[in-house]
Amino acid sequence: MADHDPAELVQAALRHDDEAARELVRRLYPLVAKMVRSHRPRRTSEEDLCQMIFIKVFQKLSQFSGKVPIEHWVSRIAVNTCLSQIEAEKIRPEVRHADLSEEEQAVVENLAASSDELAPDRQLASRQLVEHLLQLLKPVERLVIDLLYLQGRSVEEIHKITGLGVAAIKVRAFRARQKMKAQLAKTGAGRNL
Amino acid sequence: MKDVDPSTSLRTSLDRLLRAAAQAKDDTPVEMPFGFDTRVIALSRRNGNGPAVAGLLRRVALAAAAVIVLASAGAWLEFNLDGDPIVASGNEFAIADSVIQDEVAP
Repeated sequence: MADHDPAELVQAALRHDDEAARELVRRLYPLVAKMVRSHRPRRTSEEDLCQMIFIKVFQKLSQFSGKVPIEHWVSRIAVNTCLSQIEAEKIRPEVRHADLSEEEQAVVENLAASSDELAPDRQLASRQLVEHLLQLLKPVERLVIDLLYLQGRSVEEIHKITGLGVAAIKVRAFRARQKMKAQLAKTGAGRNL
Repeated sequence: MKDVDPSTSLRTSLDRLLRAAAQAKDDTPVEMPFGFDTRVIALSRRNGNGPAVAGLLRRVALAAAAVIVLASAGAWLEFNLDGDPIVASGNEFAIADSVIQDEVAP
């Protein structure tokens, strides 16, 4: 089964071949887990969300036309499932300076004090600070910022993954950036915004 | 609208923050939990009957709606073809009353 084509595995899984279905899960798990890690809401565990996505994949498998790679089709299901879960969470009204850890506060001060790139040892704290800022955004805005800036995907790739139009992606990214800038200014990194 | 291409972004605090955040890699290995595949397949098979039942219910509801529409159309036609609404409605007392009035009236 390991050397089978994904399309053959899909056909076999549709014929209730459990071994083919297992192989499909094994192949697609890294992709789904990465998507989940990027877009997982705070209150849902990674494993639960992966499970939810795979169940949807198998329930809709008969709708898979084979016109696009299975990875793209599964990515879209994963993204939509994550978005639905994120929508169930309340958007935070704002991030206060006191909510930030010492490392995150140091990043904010660093951004305000200098226009140089942040040092490599500040990367993890930067990531955490960005996670805080992302929680202020709408689910779709969060997704766009994550894909565009954190994962470094192109607008065209985001269009393929999410199904959003190119103009919609740009508008959402712009609005999200404005919100993040405003919030960053409130936390103290007002300079150079 | 501003261009959102990261490569052409200005060196703002937000851009520097996003660039630094993007460099922070999640080193946790992506390993499938033990028995995950079996559990997913079992759950999807168990939940897989849901759409079939829903489809059956939908078909039954459609068939019932079709019967109701046909019956209503039949009743309406029957009512309109017969000119006397009292007779068509099948109310025996009304029919009897109408006959008595016809007999008694001069």
